Amino acid sequence: MRRKGVMAKLAAWSAAESAQTFLGGFCVARSLDDGFLRGAPSTGLLWLAGAAVAILLGAPVVRGVFAQLPHLTEPLRDQLVRGAVVRALRTATSTGGGVDATAVSRLTSQTEIARDSFAGLVLATRSFVFVAVGALVGLLSLAPQFLIVVLPPLVLGLALFTASLRPMARAQHRYLDADEAVGRRAEITRTALRDTVACGAQEATAAQNRRAVDEAAAAQRALARWASVRTFSVATAGQLPVLLLLAAAPWLLRQGVTAGAVVGALTYVLQSLLPALHTMMTVLGAAGARLFVVLDRLTQPLPPAPPLAAAPPGPRRTGRAATALELRHVHTAYGPGARPVLDALELTVEQGEHIAVVGPSGIGKSTLLHVAAGMLTPDRGDVRLFGRAVAACPPSELTALRVLVPQEAYVFTGTLRDNLRYLWPGADRSAVDRTVGALALEPLVDRVGGLDRTLAPDALSLGERQLIALGRAHLAPAPLLLLDEATCHLDPVAEATAERALSARPGTLIVVAHRLSSALRADRILVLDGTRAHYGTHDELLARSALYRDLVGHWSQVQG
Amino acid sequence: MASPTGSDRLLRGAVRHTAGTTAALLLCSVAGAACSLAVPALAGGTLDLLLRHQPGAGTWLLWTAVLLAAEVLLESGSVLLTQLANARATAWIRLRALSGLLGTAPHRAAPHPGGDVATRLCVNATDSGTAPAALATSVSAVLVPIGALVALALIHPWTAAVFVAGLPLLLLLLRTFAVQSSDSVGRYQRAQGAIAARLAEALGGARTIAAADTARHEEERVLVPLPEMARHGTRMWHVHGRAVARSGVLLPLLTTAVVAVAGVGLAAGEVSMGGLLAASRYAALAAGIGGIAAPLGTLIRARSAARRTAELADLAPMSHGSAVLPPDAPGDLQLRGVRVTRGGVPLIKDVTLSIGGGSTVAVVGRSGAGKSTLAAAAGRLTDPDAGSVLLDGVDLAELSRSELRGATAYAFARPVFDGGATPTIGTALAAGTGPARSPATPTSVRDAATAACADTFVRLLPLGYDTPVDDAPLSGGEAQRLGLARAFIGRGRLMILDDATSSLDTATERQVEAALATPSRACTRLIVAHRVSTAARADQVVWMEAGRVRRSGPHSLLWEEPEYRAVFTAEAQPAEAPSRSTGPGGPPESVSSGAPPSAVPGTGAGE
Repeated sequence: MRRKGVMAKLAAWSAAESAQTFLGGFCVARSLDDGFLRGAPSTGLLWLAGAAVAILLGAPVVRGVFAQLPHLTEPLRDQLVRGAVVRALRTATSTGGGVDATAVSRLTSQTEIARDSFAGLVLATRSFVFVAVGALVGLLSLAPQFLIVVLPPLVLGLALFTASLRPMARAQHRYLDADEAVGRRAEITRTALRDTVACGAQEATAAQNRRAVDEAAAAQRALARWASVRTFSVATAGQLPVLLLLAAAPWLLRQGVTAGAVVGALTYVLQSLLPALHTMMTVLGAAGARLFVVLDRLTQPLPPAPPLAAAPPGPRRTGRAATALELRHVHTAYGPGARPVLDALELTVEQGEHIAVVGPSGIGKSTLLHVAAGMLTPDRGDVRLFGRAVAACPPSELTALRVLVPQEAYVFTGTLRDNLRYLWPGADRSAVDRTVGALALEPLVDRVGGLDRTLAPDALSLGERQLIALGRAHLAPAPLLLLDEATCHLDPVAEATAERALSARPGTLIVVAHRLSSALRADRILVLDGTRAHYGTHDELLARSALYRDLVGHWSQVQG
Repeated sequence: MASPTGSDRLLRGAVRHTAGTTAALLLCSVAGAACSLAVPALAGGTLDLLLRHQPGAGTWLLWTAVLLAAEVLLESGSVLLTQLANARATAWIRLRALSGLLGTAPHRAAPHPGGDVATRLCVNATDSGTAPAALATSVSAVLVPIGALVALALIHPWTAAVFVAGLPLLLLLLRTFAVQSSDSVGRYQRAQGAIAARLAEALGGARTIAAADTARHEEERVLVPLPEMARHGTRMWHVHGRAVARSGVLLPLLTTAVVAVAGVGLAAGEVSMGGLLAASRYAALAAGIGGIAAPLGTLIRARSAARRTAELADLAPMSHGSAVLPPDAPGDLQLRGVRVTRGGVPLIKDVTLSIGGGSTVAVVGRSGAGKSTLAAAAGRLTDPDAGSVLLDGVDLAELSRSELRGATAYAFARPVFDGGATPTIGTALAAGTGPARSPATPTSVRDAATAACADTFVRLLPLGYDTPVDDAPLSGGEAQRLGLARAFIGRGRLMILDDATSSLDTATERQVEAALATPSRACTRLIVAHRVSTAARADQVVWMEAGRVRRSGPHSLLWEEPEYRAVFTAEAQPAEAPSRSTGPGGPPESVSSGAPPSAVPGTGAGE
């Protein structure tokens, strides 16, 4: 609706441009025929003054056109920016999705290219259409015969240009792709430079770079050929009418067309049609193709939203209070044929327990926590939180049951209070104060200038960011906390304080342990060992698990 | 740090490289300019003859047709040649910049991160590549308006006078635009930057957001500055519209004034009908005087862009001699008074070491003690500012590049693989053979990967060794094992491991060190390490402190010093626990990154 209104206003302003074009040629013809050619220069000057007034009135017309333009471009840009943001966040938060490195470039440069190109297209095509209408009406009013002379070459040029649009867009597409490939080569050449030099493998890199650069040059040459075709079409459409008008002049004069009308017709062609044609074809050839390429990239289908549970939530276990976490025969692998990360894993964590998970790097500790949190669906097996089947829980219910704190703490530009209340926006002052006290966050609160001061995440150390994430977990109402190396940047004292506070909080705590001291604070310890898992107290595991002894021995040795 | 001369040198080179195309373009555009100047006069003359029914009009019309056709063809040719020259110059500049980057020592490229290099090679190189063509077309851009003005004066002096009087106004109006728009442009860009920053923040916390199911909430938070953008964007269009309106009025007004003067002349019999037509066309051509600004602006932009590209092209190259190593020497490494200074800060100084061929040396010390700098100097990834490094008695700087890289191998904490030059895991590992060696065979690749404990997980990848490097989801530990395999394949006489096992669990690390110590791999080993176990297993330990060698000797001897022991406790606490998968900033051991299972625990624990 709104867009239609904008288009109508734009058309109204543009119609004024048609009138201006019309007057331009018409006044020149009249000034000659009625004035200068008759030896009455004052009449001629009067007609030309009329043309000047029409030109001056063109200024508010242009302003009016530009006043309508934002109603078209800004909504488009908003839509593209919103799409880029949603896409980036959705890709980053969906299972298996990595962070899209081009997200920010899409957001900034590509949406701007789309906005500018779109505006250019609207302006140029609109201008051409209305100028052409004004000029053609003017030619018609001077003498209908002019149209027979001017129209065919104009149509021919336009047809030639239209035919070249599609291959031109393809060439532009190829060029942009090749340019991006050069950028990627430049980036990897730089980031792999140390390794390339160390291997002495510069030749292979240089050869690959040369291929990318050569392809970009070839693409640009292809583009050059189409650009010259475009220029040729414009020149044909613009210059051929001049020649034809001159050639047809004797015939026109015989038909009773005046000399002033001939000059007026030439004025229409040279001063109005040719420039408008030139602008439109340039914009359409360059910006148009670019716009379609960019729009194509920006509007690719969004990655699917996280799947919602189809099956109804499983029945609650009856009898005594449900266990906090139950894993039954859980099996997870990255794709068929890959060695399983978790294989037939069994684990029961009672409510109120504090569990530590240890094991070598890459053994699947994170995977275990993600499976337990319901963020990764195991290939086989049953995962239950407080008696409820995780696979059937919608995300909103999952977030009410558990909190997962990853290693990289998320802190956003906002107040410390809002950052702490992230998982419970309704928390009151006293609840926040209790968390601050429990985790000994007072020095941090002082350093950032209070709870209600907007903080800059970049100015915080990694440890401070982790403290905020832990405070957030402490404040959250969910009964199960899952910490995935969430204390790795804290010093041992801060880690102990935080873990004790989180353990004292009513609820269950599962920690991927980072230090021996952290494991020792737990009620029980789960040792992940590739295919096997051992579960028990510190003393039991020292007796049972060789890997645990190795890990503990190592830590003790290091910590003296 | 390149001076403007660096940029000028680059542009001069580009002009020389495109000389043929540029010269053709110059001829083409000048001839085109001549045609476009001649056509109005010819057309006017034709019109006069036709109006007066005089003979000879046919000949004039023919000439007009010929020159018009020539103008059209020359204009199309100019466009073609301009772009061809741009393509050629851009490619040349890009290759210069890339070879400058590839030829330098890695530390010299340090001020330019990957994204910055990409910008310099895309936007900046394209801009600098337009210089030769802009230079050639600037001639015709000057020629046409001046020629048109002269033609006006010839038709009737007053037309030229009117035009010249109106000209300052035109230039004045064109300038106002730049001043007025900058304010709203700045605010617009700030709002845009704010959205980008919020998005980057949220992307960094993707796992928290996914777990808390707050993605929708985050979308709204990121987009808060969007209305601000729309507001300033709208203002930008209004300002732009005003500028366009003003400049759009002036040119037609000038033309109309010229026609008026010519019309008065016509009435007085001083100007012919064709003269009036020509005058109105010449006025339009002369108004193209503003068009001189286009090639000029292009040249200015090209020059400043070339300055940025030249910084890469002019990176100091790493020069190599032509010496070769004595055959069958054991790989004795000697550092003599080595000092390395970067940005005025000495990183290591007075380092003198002698390492016997075939021995294993651990380099230990706190962060910032100069361990990695020492490792970089030992295999000539960086050149010392003073002193020298000798391998089997030959200065590394005197060795040919292939001899040097064939004799040395590096493994790093975070190895990087070039997924373009070496598309598959197999080829990425084979790159470790160095430039002059016989190419690696699939068997040698497999052997090296097995020694680095990488074979098992590589074979679990979808295409095994043919898996594209860019598609392989590698954890920090897996990348390190591939980096080790790449170093193992080289079979040089000096192997340098710079923190290359930090993401491995202890069991795997022991296995890798055992493979390194097998007799078939007889080479000198320099290992930068944080773990006390590595130091304990080495033949000799070099203890670095504040850029100097504090002490060197066997681990058992050094262990008696409390300060030596403190090196490990201070280092170890944050970085040592085996449960830790990566260093800060590295890819997390994560489900969302799709890391396949990696560790082979227990298999090496029996030692």
